[in-house]
Amino acid sequence: MQVRVRAFARLREAIGGELTLEVPRDATMGGLLAMVGDVSQEAREALFEESGELRGHVILMHNGSRVRRAEAATLTLAEGDEVALFPPVAGG
Amino acid sequence: MISVTRDDFDLNAELDRVRRPDMGGLVTFLGVVRNDGGLEAMELEAYEEVAVKELETIRDEAFSRFPIGAVTVIHRIGRLRVGENILLIIVGAGHRKEAFDACEYILERIKQSVPIWKKEIGKDGERWVPGESSGGDA
Repeated sequence: MQVRVRAFARLREAIGGELTLEVPRDATMGGLLAMVGDVSQEAREALFEESGELRGHVILMHNGSRVRRAEAATLTLAEGDEVALFPPVAGG
Repeated sequence: MISVTRDDFDLNAELDRVRRPDMGGLVTFLGVVRNDGGLEAMELEAYEEVAVKELETIRDEAFSRFPIGAVTVIHRIGRLRVGENILLIIVGAGHRKEAFDACEYILERIKQSVPIWKKEIGKDGERWVPGESSGGDA
């Protein structure tokens, strides 16, 4: 099934723009993040610490709603879902 | 009105859109691109659909917290030069205090949670402005 990945600001530049990824049925948000990290060295460094843990400043959204980091490992994705990744906001 | 747009706005036209005879004050905040040490322009980027929804949530919060009559928020995105308008907040109310308080509340909430980012573009290169908040999910 296909999942759309959108990234913004510094993370968009590191990942290289919007992605549509083919993921296995019952894929989790955590699994998807690992796939995004595999896109390039730059993407991996932008998203993950050397330990493999998601960097502290990365904010996650699933279909427009915030996802807590602790939930990412178990959140199951569905066909057509949109996942967004971004750094702390700086509008205003 | 709530809007995330590339277009500039006309301050007087926006004030006229919300003013009503029962409002004794319309507090207006206008954010503009500041010339910070060699800055030439800013590139603003938004997760637009979510930014609009979040601004609508913030407007609704302001209406439930303060006795106010109208709220307008227009946040621009795209490339903006020094001196150009970034953000307009108008709060109309019967009295000044609630209008000032609500305007400040809306501005601080925008900085906290609306998915918009700014990149500074200067003579010496480019830099993303660091965000102030992770939105409470560290």
